[in-house]
Amino acid sequence: MEAKEQAARRRRWTILLLQSAPLIAFALVLVVFASLSDRFFTLSNFTNIVTQSSHIAIMAIGMTFVLLTAGIDLSVGAVMYVVVAVLALVLGDLPVLMAFPLVALLGLALGAVNGFFVVQLRGLHPFIITLSTLFILRGLALWMTDTRMVFVEEPIMALGRTSYFGVPWAIWMFLAVFVSAWLVLRETPFGRQVYAVGQDPVAAAKAGINVPMVLFAVYCICGLCAALGGLVSIAQVAAASSTFGFQKEFPVIAAAVLGGTSLFGGRGGVVGTVFGAILIQTVENGLVMTNANPYIYPLVTASIIFFAVLIDSQRSRIAEAMRRRSIRVEEG
Amino acid sequence: MLRAREASGKPASASAAGARHLVERLILSEYLVFYLTLIYFVAVLPIVPEIASPRSIYNMLTDMLPLLVVAIGQTFVLIVAGIDLSVTSIIAMASVVGASVMTSDGGYLGDTWLAVPVGVLTFLVVGGLVGWFNGWSCTRLGMPPIIVTLVGLMFLSGLAIWYTTGHSETSSIAGLPRSFVAIGQGSAYGIPHSLWVALAVGITAHLLLSRTVFGRWLYAIGINRKAAEVSGVPVKTAILWAFVISGVCAAIASILYTGRLETGTPVLGERILLDIIAAVVIGGTSLAGGKGKIVWTVGGVLFLVVIDTSLKLLGMSLFVVLGAKGAVILFAAIIDSTRQRILMRH
Amino acid sequence: MSSGAEILRVEGLSKSFFGVEVLHQVSFALHQGETIGLVGENGSGKSTMMNILGGIHKADAGSITLAGEAYVPGGPRDAQAAGLAFIHQELNLFENLSIEENVFVSGFPRRWGRLPLIDRGRISERTRQLLDMVDVRYPPNTLVGRLSQGERQLVEIAKALSVDARIILFDEPTTSLTRRETAKLFEIMERLRVQGIAVIYVSHILGDVLRVCDGVQVLRDGHLVGGGTRDEMTIESLISMMVGRQIENLFPERDTKPSVAPALTVEGVTQPGVVKDVSFILHESEVLGLAGLMGAGRSELARILFGLDPFEAGSISVHGEVLETVTPETCMARGMAFLTEDRRGEGLLMEASIIDNAGLPSLQSYANERTGWIDRTKLAADVADVSRRLQVNTTDYGSMLVKNLSGGNQQKVVIGKWLLRHPKVFLLDEPTRGIDVGAKYEIYKIVNDLVAEGAAILFISSEMEELIGMCDRILVMNRGEITGIHHRHEFDNEKILETAMRTSLDDFERSH
Repeated sequence: MEAKEQAARRRRWTILLLQSAPLIAFALVLVVFASLSDRFFTLSNFTNIVTQSSHIAIMAIGMTFVLLTAGIDLSVGAVMYVVVAVLALVLGDLPVLMAFPLVALLGLALGAVNGFFVVQLRGLHPFIITLSTLFILRGLALWMTDTRMVFVEEPIMALGRTSYFGVPWAIWMFLAVFVSAWLVLRETPFGRQVYAVGQDPVAAAKAGINVPMVLFAVYCICGLCAALGGLVSIAQVAAASSTFGFQKEFPVIAAAVLGGTSLFGGRGGVVGTVFGAILIQTVENGLVMTNANPYIYPLVTASIIFFAVLIDSQRSRIAEAMRRRSIRVEEG
Repeated sequence: MLRAREASGKPASASAAGARHLVERLILSEYLVFYLTLIYFVAVLPIVPEIASPRSIYNMLTDMLPLLVVAIGQTFVLIVAGIDLSVTSIIAMASVVGASVMTSDGGYLGDTWLAVPVGVLTFLVVGGLVGWFNGWSCTRLGMPPIIVTLVGLMFLSGLAIWYTTGHSETSSIAGLPRSFVAIGQGSAYGIPHSLWVALAVGITAHLLLSRTVFGRWLYAIGINRKAAEVSGVPVKTAILWAFVISGVCAAIASILYTGRLETGTPVLGERILLDIIAAVVIGGTSLAGGKGKIVWTVGGVLFLVVIDTSLKLLGMSLFVVLGAKGAVILFAAIIDSTRQRILMRH
Repeated sequence: MSSGAEILRVEGLSKSFFGVEVLHQVSFALHQGETIGLVGENGSGKSTMMNILGGIHKADAGSITLAGEAYVPGGPRDAQAAGLAFIHQELNLFENLSIEENVFVSGFPRRWGRLPLIDRGRISERTRQLLDMVDVRYPPNTLVGRLSQGERQLVEIAKALSVDARIILFDEPTTSLTRRETAKLFEIMERLRVQGIAVIYVSHILGDVLRVCDGVQVLRDGHLVGGGTRDEMTIESLISMMVGRQIENLFPERDTKPSVAPALTVEGVTQPGVVKDVSFILHESEVLGLAGLMGAGRSELARILFGLDPFEAGSISVHGEVLETVTPETCMARGMAFLTEDRRGEGLLMEASIIDNAGLPSLQSYANERTGWIDRTKLAADVADVSRRLQVNTTDYGSMLVKNLSGGNQQKVVIGKWLLRHPKVFLLDEPTRGIDVGAKYEIYKIVNDLVAEGAAILFISSEMEELIGMCDRILVMNRGEITGIHHRHEFDNEKILETAMRTSLDDFERSH
């Protein structure tokens, strides 16, 4: 009996350890960098990190919706570029209050195209659909910019410098998107239906959920978030070359997965996603602060994602093994 | 959508019904992509007659071959319901490591007779090792292939650039032996050497998939991994080998690309990742696993290359080419979904 | 049983799929507080009938009247709105949502009426009431993933009650329930009856049907071939109506005797939490049954013996040789075969042909040693041979997908794939689950043929009749341990069940 209890306690500890692994990793990253650079562990640097990660975080929040339905959206980087091209070339020096809703609408519309095809071509993996829209939208943006560098006008650039209550505009934007996404996923019927569709679309349809509508909506949301991410990003850098947003889909997906959102649907959430995005940026920032060789940035980032996902997969494996152990016992 | 149009158009006469029947049979054919390529080729011929010139056909062929070789490797991974996003970074990594062995600019074996054989071997070893690591992570560590290979892509792309800085003043490694360069760009009697390489890879892959136990195992795993396991299929080993094959194929493609450019380049292949997957899927191989053929992949690659070439000959700019490529993938997707619906109806 | 007013009347209902009539002019009536059983073989039209009532399919002809009004549901939602709840065989619950969210997932009540925010207070409160009605003692915000199969079934019923169902359709609700959970379900059904809710109960387990239903309707090939009250029916009469002929002998005779040579020797196999100290010997030409309640560890033991799951202690020997490493490959190399209980999930490649399925375990023996090429002609010929021997109901072995075969024929394909390897030790886990009476008989004959050739069979089944009819000896498991061994001459349903509930072999020996 004693041994049994001990084993159970050990298992509980293992699980607890694995469950908090991302947090432990984060703490470790902080400790390592803080000991290497005295500029790292400062408030202003953290503000920096969050500001720099905000566009990836916003896009990854949108991606989380899509991943929750077991889908994927590869076109986010291209959407970002299209939005910036429109912002720079068409909207010109429109005041922010006018440009903002137009950007949001454009993102929604581009997302709706993805959503339309995903719903219409059921049975075809969204991977391939959004892959094609990725090409089309990049082509469109390159056509608009003529592959040249484009610049946004002053109203948008001013945004990048604006702060409210000492907090940069980008962080407010990020917070607004995060809070609304969190509310939508947790507290609205739609949000819960997203989880249901991701778990089992057939059962969801049987339960009377409008599955095509839910799928369509998540791609719209992802498009919207990609557009907002583009806006936040361009406000910070002011200019976009022909590689703007190129392969952005990778860090965006990585942030969501790092935060514990499953690629197979139904599991995860935006809190983890935000955490993932910030973790990636923290590492990059720490490397800059410690004057590391710039060539190793992608190597370190990739390794951290690898280990985070490794831990996550071990966690689900152990959980499954434990489920198998505790077979149901039928009482006589 | 195609079906909606079909359904709304009333079969006015027997010939219309016959035509519809023909279209349906065409769509259901597993070699549809070849027909589409042919139709497209004939359609653009009056506009750009140059496309049929020996020179342009030769160019298309040499464009197609390295792409085909990577795509063949990818087919193996897709059949077991995996995906290998790291292939382009393998191409880059193998390119710079291989070049650093062979270059006469202070390469490890520069200017010795060993340079080319060992260099070629280096390419293959790099590809095989990365493939092995991908497969090992997916099977022994139970990680999802898309993430493993995505991380591999990020890591190796970075590593390739870093590695280059240690071996060259510029951003690439030049000074490769002539006999190596010949593999990628040489030809004999008008037939490029790379064709023989691609043919050898293609035929081996085809026989491996269609005729051997290993091939049948891969399909079984793709259709139902658990059932394969219960039937005594060494699932993990087979998946591991699929990734190794993908890695080695990418390395062979890297040999061809590096030879054509005459330099080891760390950004080699950077832009063709999605083309590779698109080509395989357009051919008819399923992302869900269990379905795929080398012949289909040949068709998919051919299709993409013909479209690419014709657009370039038409003087279209990069953005049109990109956009058209997207439209083509979408079109293939629509066709595939139409095919599923017709099959369901039958 | 007194029943109330008529609530549902089905008249002349017909339905065809792809030109094949699956329901023909079916008529019956259901009253308030009445429970009727709907029985029939697979493919008899039961599920189609239920799907039409549940709004999933549309009838081609005939009418349905619900509480005096014409009822033509356009979809599952209409059925729900009309007060008709359908509890599917595969539960329609989302493991990643809480109980309360599952109950209301089709239509959440909103906060202050308008806002798109879920009214958490209201759904918790209402869910708590509903859970009380079905005796589930969990907080409403518990994740469904944490509930047992039986508890989930009860949540599904709570969900049905939440829409004020007047009629509940149950499709095979007990297949994955323990005995205790089943008893609980029946208790709640009794409560529903008192409340005046009408129930249509579909099940393969005829004993249960006769126990809980007031009346039974029997379907065969889409026709309603008979029906009556519970008192007029017996299991035998139901079976003969279902198959359309008198079943004289459910089990074929076997005239071989078990040998004394051990084929499979299991010694002290232990895996914590799964099986404990399991030892037995299976002889050549013997059918050794493995009985036990659900969760006793029978399937888990079979998986361990075939190397699919790990074990920490003990040894497994085949024909006297100890297996050093136990994996499916090493087991198969010694002539073992394993028929899984999960035909769809683990037994078959649904999207592949019979040849691809049947050839899978023995591919290597068809490969040319030098080139590794498969001799496809020989493989096709052998598959055709074995399929004919098993009477698989098609001759298209090369292109027809297995998913288009009936359950019985699919099971024959799974057996066929192992027969190609000429197994010496065959582990059969629920070989006749979910297949017709006729096909069952054929599978029993196959088992006898194998035994005649000297094979040893480990026969796992939840149907006691089947074990008693087929086995030479029956091992009984409970909570991962062997709790008893019964020999053919002393087989007795009651006694075996008693052993199945005992905790260990010691108790068994003490009582003997």
